[in-house]
Formats: sequence, structure tokens, C-alpha cells
Amino acid sequence: MLPSKANAPHAKKVLFPDKQPTNSRQVKSSTLTNAAGLSSLITFTVLLLAWISGFASRLFAVIRFESIIHEFDPWFNYRATAYMVQHGFYNFLNWFDERAWYPLGRIVGGTVYPGLMITSGSIHHILHSLNIPVHIRDICVFLAPVFSGLTAISTYFLTKELWSAGAGLFAACFIAIVPGYISRSVAGSYDNEGIAIFALQFTYYLWVKSVKTGSIFWAVLTALSYFYMVSAWGGYVFIINLIPLHVFALLVMNRYSNRLFTSYTTFYILGLLLSMQIPFVGFQPIRTSEHMAAGGVFGLLIFVAVFRYLRTMLTKSEMKYFGGFVTLTAAALLLILVILTYSGLVAPWSGRFYSLWDTGYAKIHIPIIASVSEHQPTTWFSFFFDLHILVTTFPVGLWYCIKHINDERVFVVLYAISAVYFAGVMVRLMLTLTPVVCMLAGVAFSGLLELFLKEEDKDGSDREGGEGSEEESEEETERSSRRALYDEAGKLRRMKHERPKGSGDGLGANLRNGVVIGISMLLMMFTVHCTWVTSNAYSSPSIVLASYSNDGGRSILDDFREAYYWLAQNTPNDARVMSWWDYGYQIAGMANRTTLVDNNTWNNSHIALVGKAMSSNESAAYDIMTSLDVDYVLVIFGGMIGYSGDDINKFLWMVRIAEGEHPQDIRESDYFTERGEFRVDSEGSPTLLNSLMYKLSYYRFGEVKIDYRSPAGFDRTRNAEIGNKNFQLTYLDEAYTTEHWLVRIYRVKKPEEFNRPRIPIAERTINRRTSSFLSKKTARRKKGLIKGRPTVVKGQKPQKKSTT
Amino acid sequence: MLKMSLTSVFLGFLCFLASANAGGETLVLLDNLAIRETHSMFFKSLQERGYTLTFKLADDANLVLSKYGEYLYSHLIIFAPSVEEFGGALSVDAVTEFIDGGGNVLVAGSSQSGDVLRELASECGFEVDEEGAAVIDHMNYDVSDLGQHTTIVAETENLINAPVIIGDKNIPPLLYQGTGLVADTENPLVLQLLTASSSAYSYNPDQPVKEYPHAVGKNTLLIAALQARNNARVLFSGSLFFFSDEAFTSSVQKAQGGQKYEKSGNEAVAKAMSKWVFKDSGVIRASSVSHKKSGEKEPPAAYTVMDDVVYAITIEQLAGDKWIPYEADDLQLEFVRIDPFVRTKLQKLDNGRYEARFKIPDVYGVYQFKVDYNRIGITHLYSTTQVSVRPLQHTQYERFIPSAFPYYVSAFSMMGGVFLFSFVFLHYKEDVKSKAE
Repeated sequence: MLPSKANAPHAKKVLFPDKQPTNSRQVKSSTLTNAAGLSSLITFTVLLLAWISGFASRLFAVIRFESIIHEFDPWFNYRATAYMVQHGFYNFLNWFDERAWYPLGRIVGGTVYPGLMITSGSIHHILHSLNIPVHIRDICVFLAPVFSGLTAISTYFLTKELWSAGAGLFAACFIAIVPGYISRSVAGSYDNEGIAIFALQFTYYLWVKSVKTGSIFWAVLTALSYFYMVSAWGGYVFIINLIPLHVFALLVMNRYSNRLFTSYTTFYILGLLLSMQIPFVGFQPIRTSEHMAAGGVFGLLIFVAVFRYLRTMLTKSEMKYFGGFVTLTAAALLLILVILTYSGLVAPWSGRFYSLWDTGYAKIHIPIIASVSEHQPTTWFSFFFDLHILVTTFPVGLWYCIKHINDERVFVVLYAISAVYFAGVMVRLMLTLTPVVCMLAGVAFSGLLELFLKEEDKDGSDREGGEGSEEESEEETERSSRRALYDEAGKLRRMKHERPKGSGDGLGANLRNGVVIGISMLLMMFTVHCTWVTSNAYSSPSIVLASYSNDGGRSILDDFREAYYWLAQNTPNDARVMSWWDYGYQIAGMANRTTLVDNNTWNNSHIALVGKAMSSNESAAYDIMTSLDVDYVLVIFGGMIGYSGDDINKFLWMVRIAEGEHPQDIRESDYFTERGEFRVDSEGSPTLLNSLMYKLSYYRFGEVKIDYRSPAGFDRTRNAEIGNKNFQLTYLDEAYTTEHWLVRIYRVKKPEEFNRPRIPIAERTINRRTSSFLSKKTARRKKGLIKGRPTVVKGQKPQKKSTT
Repeated sequence: MLKMSLTSVFLGFLCFLASANAGGETLVLLDNLAIRETHSMFFKSLQERGYTLTFKLADDANLVLSKYGEYLYSHLIIFAPSVEEFGGALSVDAVTEFIDGGGNVLVAGSSQSGDVLRELASECGFEVDEEGAAVIDHMNYDVSDLGQHTTIVAETENLINAPVIIGDKNIPPLLYQGTGLVADTENPLVLQLLTASSSAYSYNPDQPVKEYPHAVGKNTLLIAALQARNNARVLFSGSLFFFSDEAFTSSVQKAQGGQKYEKSGNEAVAKAMSKWVFKDSGVIRASSVSHKKSGEKEPPAAYTVMDDVVYAITIEQLAGDKWIPYEADDLQLEFVRIDPFVRTKLQKLDNGRYEARFKIPDVYGVYQFKVDYNRIGITHLYSTTQVSVRPLQHTQYERFIPSAFPYYVSAFSMMGGVFLFSFVFLHYKEDVKSKAE
């Protein structure tokens, strides 16, 4: 656009050439186009800033530690991605991992949501084809922060569709920095959720768009976005239940329209077919109860459409018969579904699903699900911790939406209500709540500021600090400018005219300013809180620990990597390492050794077997370990440094999981004292004190005196002096213990090492008369002793007597 | 020519050396050097088979089994029943270490066995009866017995049923004079080579029987052996007399109306047992293991479920200093993933080669080909080979299945229908519209 160059006094113009025509016109007279240009500029700027700040605040872990993959699951994702990049997609799809779940193995391609690997793999491919050599690890580390920007943008679009652009900008800024989302998307947290929230928001945006327009185009895009979501995260079930719920609610509210019919039928059919292309999902969409609601709503929608069509054709009397026919059909369909469920063709609700409705269900029936900390019910505290001010403002936004209900706001209302419920059931599902909270809080703030900034001048509104108020003022200017165009009579008259019917009646300038300042304060506090939480709670890689001394110095505890590196360097390549399943992915990822169980907890009985080995005594455990060909056992022990996430603290879950499969051998009550306490000191139950896990954790710990005040063998995590101190291991050898005793590795002795079963003295039937034998050999005289040996007695020569 | 002949002479000399060393270095510990003479036939038979015997007194101050971590001897014979403490660097611990290091030990006690032998026996899983106790049998004593009925005639039917250890069973009865042994019944590695008859018991012949004897009847072991998990062999006899020239040569006749044999069976059994304990017999090994898909030459990186697989193993037996094919018809192969999924007989081919063909089950995982051949008297053969069995790849499934044909038909008919319908749609003129106009 060359001509615009001439009359361009603004600096912005150079940055955004596409905005120039509007700017140039602004100089002349047209305020409308000026505002539009300014609004898109501000929108662009705000979204860019949201992206950048969201990206930047996720980098705490990288700056404090290093560019490293975090935690547990990301290690598998990283390993799988690296495999895919190295061997190609088809080999990845057919990858049979014989190093996991020994000796069962794992078909990785068929048991993984490949979206994450494909995403980072294709980024890697593109960058390399542009000759930008980036290591795949760095792509994996920075994938989630980059996607958080995309999430912010899709949230902006979704909120814009639901409410207004101003609310959208608010929502985008909120989601960029809200801790509830940052917790799963810091740099290094290379997990499905990192990209899935983007896919979720984008799918919802496209769905709302397609409901609004009723075009097949948008519905197809929804289905494609849904396909991406299915490939990325198991949480796609949330979409495939929420969208039918939306449709169902619209039908109940008598809001049926042809737009709805088009968009849902298109989305459902395409989404169903596409989702079945993911090997892990396979035939689940037509065979499990979780997906049946979508099918039912599909049938219902078609039925309603037919019904409406028939109503235009038939007379009332004919319709009566039709009603009976309908009831019969519905009953028959329900019956068929029930029969299919009982005959096993349609799988009943899974245990994980039941645990969503009954929080006590998992603890009783599926301890392996309950044992995961992120599957615990949410405390009220974590709502505030993760969402801060948003948790109080989002009901306001919800109320606005209910007050001004339309088709797409029904959707967001359902989204909010269901997500709040699920977030209350499981900490992990806080993640699905966070976007809708941001959206509705955006709506609420937008509504508030709309009210209180209404009469402010454009210049006055610009003074408000913070991104939020700025964009809001922008929104406001846009409206006021439109209004100015509408009646040009002048400001005073317009105010008089507007006041009685506008919502800003009776508000003095002081009140306005006070409220606006208050809101700005809240938003600033929110920002500070988000940064603080991100920096303190969610930016630890958890494989490298940091501890702070009194003088503020920081020391790094790198015991995990130390141990994994030891395994990688000192054990045979095919060595099999037994550990609790939490560490399976890390052992596979960092040490590259075979593991028995890992974080993909697909086989409960195998985990129960490991749990049984850990909770049995040494000799019973040895039988299990030899039958599983275990070479090394790895335990995490935090008693030395006071690390609370160690195996002894997880031990009761091992017992419970083992009890679920082997109730005749392991009983949870045996591990408690008579008074029902779980304690490791001398009053602890003998079963606990002799269990393999206890022995491996505390082997030689009884000799350790940490400081002079506490006795030897004082466990700092549980604040107790251990009860079983001086014991020897029969079947295992200590192989390696890390610097802070955090990771302890033991070698399992092979059967050949028990070369000849000797008879211990206590079990001998023939008692010897002398219990202890005293050796008569000395350092110099090494001669032995033979009983009754004829000895040569030296004769003595009779001495001559001296006379004289 | 001369050079060649020299070379061949040299080679022949080497061969001679090799064969001479086949038996291996053997340390013989004695109570007194007289035993060397009284047991000369036994020692001579060993020397004839190529063992280098080094005779030492058991209390020799310079006794040593290993130097710089290397064992100086591969076998140890302890013919010193009354030793109370070994001399030099030798002790029970040193002997057990020697066993754990793969050395073979032959021990003979007597009714006056010392504590050190008891300790050694307990380390190997059996016990020697109290000092002074001897095996007494009032029914089956030899005519040469002096009245205490301790020189007993052991029937050959009480020998263990394993020709590889005791040789031919069809020999004259055995003469035995010494103490009884008791075996740990829970120890699976202990072999009861020779038990006493049911009328025997073990007690001090000079004292009246006040307590219940430790060993009564068939529980009384005369000769016991242990094959440790590392295949080291230990043979423990309660009688040093059993190996003596006197026992080898004297005639046997049960005092109570037995048949008279000119020569006892001791020599044959002692030779066979010494062969076994010093690993001249009953040593097998798996010299090669191979597995592959049937019809291919090289083993694949990973098998696929339902593959036909061929597993072959060559088993050899040590004969003198040569490995010859081992013949057996009771070898079996297991295909194990925690539990055996396939257990099949290995078919004998030529030259000690055994082969099994089977179909891998339709279960993926990490499997092991496992041959676990454990027979009495023969070294434990244990061979495992780990292989991965992977599921079908995405290209290996059947492409067109008959049950899908209705869907193909429906899909293509739909396409055709849409194609035809589009023509109808494009070229159909609505009459109604023209009417309205």
C-alpha cells in the first residue's frame, strides 16, 4: 500500500501496514473506520502480549533449572516422540515396546494418543526442512508454552462468539497466565493436556460458530478439530458428551433450528468416523457407554426433525397415532441398548467414569485410580489457589449469560456447570474448568467495566492501567463511537437521552472511579498471584529438587538423575528394574532399562504383583522377583532429607493394590498397629517392619546419625526413629545409593548365588558337644590338629652326672 | 621332512600333556601317610585316569588351596576323618569357598570324625552322626565282623538309581564300616547315593542304646552327595574303610546265611563315584542354541504372533577331554512368559542336535525359550533365550474381509446415487415455478 506511506504520521502504521488505510482516514474525518482499525490493532497487540507473557511466565523452570523434561508422563511422551522422529511415523505406530511392562510388553502405537508426538514431530520436521537444527527435546520442552498462546487466541475467539470482543480479550489474558492452566503447561511439562486445552477451546469455538451459522463448513471444521483433540487427549470424551448435552438442552428448550440440525449431524458423523481412526480409540465410540449419549442425541435430533417435518404435512388426528409410534420406538431403542450392554457388545461404564459420580467408589473398587494424587477430590483451597479472583467472578459471568440466554450461551452455561462439578470431583479436572472460568470471568469483567466506564471519555479510559482495562476501554470507544455516529446532535443531549434507560444511572464519578480502581487492583493482585503461584508451585521439574538453606542459598538435589545415570552406565543393557509404577517412565526414559510397571497403568494385576513383592517379606518377595526375572530393585527413600513423596509414604497404596488381587496373602490391616496407626518406629506392626519395601528403604539407615540431637536412624520425613534397625538382606545386595539417599538401588541375587543350602546351626539334629570351636592356629604356627595322631615323643638323653 | 616329523612329535607331546592334564590337579589330605598305602588301589585308579595327586597331611602348616585368586587344585580329597583343624590356610570356610568356586570335593569320614568334617557336612546339607557312632546292622553284617556288627554288607539295591553316578548296579554287595549320615530332607540338591538297609541304625556300639538314634533304617545314609547350583560336586562318605584296599579286595558274605562273593563291589562303585564327583561323567552342556522363523535362515529381530518357529539346541557330553553328542529322549522346551505358553518335546536329530517346531501363541510379550534339564547326577542344563513377540503390524491385517462387502456395496451405491441425483437436480425443471410466473 504505497500511497498510504505519504500521509502516515503515526508510528503504529509502520508496524502494522494493514492498518494504515484506516489510520490515514482517521486523520481526515471518519471516526468509525478509525475505531475499527484501532480495535483490531489493540486486539492484535493484546493477544500478542498475552501470548508472550503466557510464554514467558512458563519459563521459570527452564531458567531456574535447565531445559529438561519434567515429572513422569512427559518422559514417556518424550521417549515416544524421540522414537517417532528417529524411526518414522509408521514404525512408531507399530512400535512394540519390549522394555516396558516386562514381560508383557506394550504396543505403544495402539495405547497412546499420538497427537502430541505428531505435533512436535511435525514441528521438528518443518524446522529441519528449513535447516533450523533444533533438538527434539527443546521442541518438546517448549511445546506447551507455545500452545498456551494458541489457547489464549482460541479462547478469545470463543468468548467473542459468546459475548463480545472485549470479554474475549479479557478471557485471553486470563487464560494466558491463570495457574490452573499453567500447572499443566509449564516449559518441560510435555504432556497431552498442553495441546489438548487448545484443541478443546478451538473445537468449542468452531462448534459455537457452526451452531450460529448453521453451515456445513464450520461443522466440518469442528469435526476436524475434534479429531485433533481425540488424537491428543482422552479428555475428548468431555467434548463428545458436552456437545450432545448442548443439543439436547436446546431441544428441551424448544430451540430447535435447521442450523442446529445441520451442524450437529455433520459434526457427529464426521467426528465419529474420524475419532475411530485413532488406534487407541478404535471402536470405543460405538461400543462404550460413555459415547452412547452422542448417538442417542443424534437419533433424537433426526427424530425431532422428522417430527417437525411431518407436522407440516399431517393433520392433528394423524399426529396422535404418530405419538404412540414414537413412544414405542423410543422404548424399543432403549431396550436394545440395555440388551446390548448386558450381552457385552456395548461396554458398561468404566470404573473411572463411576468414580466421577461417587468419590468414594475408586477407593473401594479401583485403588490404583485412587492412589494417584491428582485423582483426589478438590479442596476449596485449590480452587482459589488455581483461579484466584476468577473463581469469585465467574458466577457473575454465568449469571449474565443466563440472563441474556441464546443458543450459544446455553452451551457455555452447560460447559460451566459440568466443568465445575467435575473439577470438584477430581483435582485433575480443574484443567477443564479453567478455560470456562476465564471466559465467564472475562464476561463478568467486561460487563462490569462496560457499566462503569460507559460515560467516560475515550481519553479518560485510556488512563486506566492494565491490559484488561485498556482493552475494555477500547471496546467502549468502539461502542461510543458508533453511538456518536448514530446521533450526532451532541454529547449533552445524548447523555440526557441515554441516562434513564442506560444501566449507568445514578453513578457518580467518584463511585465510577472507585470501582474501576478497585477492579484494577483486583486484576493486578490476580497477576501477582498468578506469577507467584507459577514461580513457587508449578515450576519444579520434580526430577531435580531444590532446597533452600537459611541464608537463602540454593542447593540442587539431583539424586534421581544420578541414580538413573548409574543404572544406564553400570547395568547390562537388558537388565530389568523393578520399582513402583511412578518411576517406570523415568527409568525407561533416562536409564533406558526394562521396567516391570510404569505410569501407563493398564494392567492392574501386574502392578498388584509388584505391590505384593514390595509388601511381602524378603523370601516371599524373592519368589515373585525371580519369577519376573528382576535384576534390580529401585526404591525412593526420603527419610534422609525429609522428602515426603517417597515410597514408604506411598506404601499403603501398594498394599491396597496388592490386596485387591491377592487378598489371601496381603491384608492391609496387618500393616497397621493395633490402634490403627501406620508407623515405622518400634511400635509399628511386624509385618510392616519386615516387608521388603521397609527393608530396602531403611537398610543400613539404622547406622546413620543425621545430627547430634536425634537418635541414629531417625527418619526426617515421618519424624520417627525407625523400628527395625540392624538387619541384613538375604536375597538382595545394595548396589547403589545416591548422595542424599533419595534413590536406592538393590541387586537381586541370582539363584546360583545360593549355591548350596547349608543347614543353620539352629536346625541341626545332631548337637555337637562343643558349641564353639577355638582355633589353635596362630599367625606363626599354622599347623592344624589331628585327633589321636601318633606323635613322636622326643626321648631325653640321660645327662651325665658331673662328679667332682 | 625332518622338520615336519619334529613338529608332529611336538604336537603329539602336546596332546600327551593335554590328556595327562585332563583329570586335573588334585589335593589329597590324609590323617597320616599310611592311608596312602592302605588306599593305594583307589589312588592308583585315579592316577591312571590322569589325575595328578598331591598328598599332604591334613594338619600340614603349608596347606593352601588358592593363590592370588586362582585355585591351585580343581579337586580335593579329604581322607582325614579325625582332623580337628586343618593346617595352613585351609579351613571349612576355605573349602566351602572352593566349592562355591566350582571345585569338587570327596570326603570320607569314620566313626571318629572330627568337628571340622561335621561342619563341612552341614555346610553341604547333611550331617554326620555323633562322635563314636557307627552304623550297626544286626541282620546284614559281614562274616569278617568282630562282634560289634559294624562291618555291614550294603545291598546294591540301596544304591541310588542313577547309573551315571554309581555305574552298573549289578555287582556284588558293598562293605561298609563307619558312621551314618543324615540328610536335610528339604534340600533338593542332596543325593542319597547309598542308604543303609531297613534293619540298620546308627549309634555308638560301645554304649547301651538309651536315646532314640539319630538315624534309623533307610534314613541312615552311608554315602551322600551334593551337586551344588554351580555344578560343583561334593561326595561325603561316612566310611573311609569303604575306599580301602581291604574293602576292595575282601570277599563278602552276610553272616546270616548269605551268598558268598569273592570280591566286594566296592571297587567298582568307588571308581564310578570318583568319576562322577570329579566330573568325568555326567557333564553336559548346550553348545549352541538357535531359533528362527520356519523357512528362514536368520533369527528375526522380533517374532510376530502366530509365527511358526524352529528352535534348535545342540547338547554335548564330556567324555574324557572331548565333547561328544549327548543322547536323550526326555528333553523338552518351554516357551515362557511368566508361565509356559508352550511346552513341547525336543525331537532328536543327529549329533546331539535337538529341534522343536511350534506355533507362537496369539499373545504378544517378551518370551523366553527355556530348556531346563535337571536329571540326577547330570549337571544342570539351563538355557534361556529371550525373544520379543510383537503383535501384527498395521499392514499385516487382512485387507478385504467378506463381512465388509455389504459396506463396500453401500458406499459405492451411495456414490453412484449421488452422482445420478446431481444430474437429476441440475437438469430438472420445476413446472410449478413456471406456472407461478
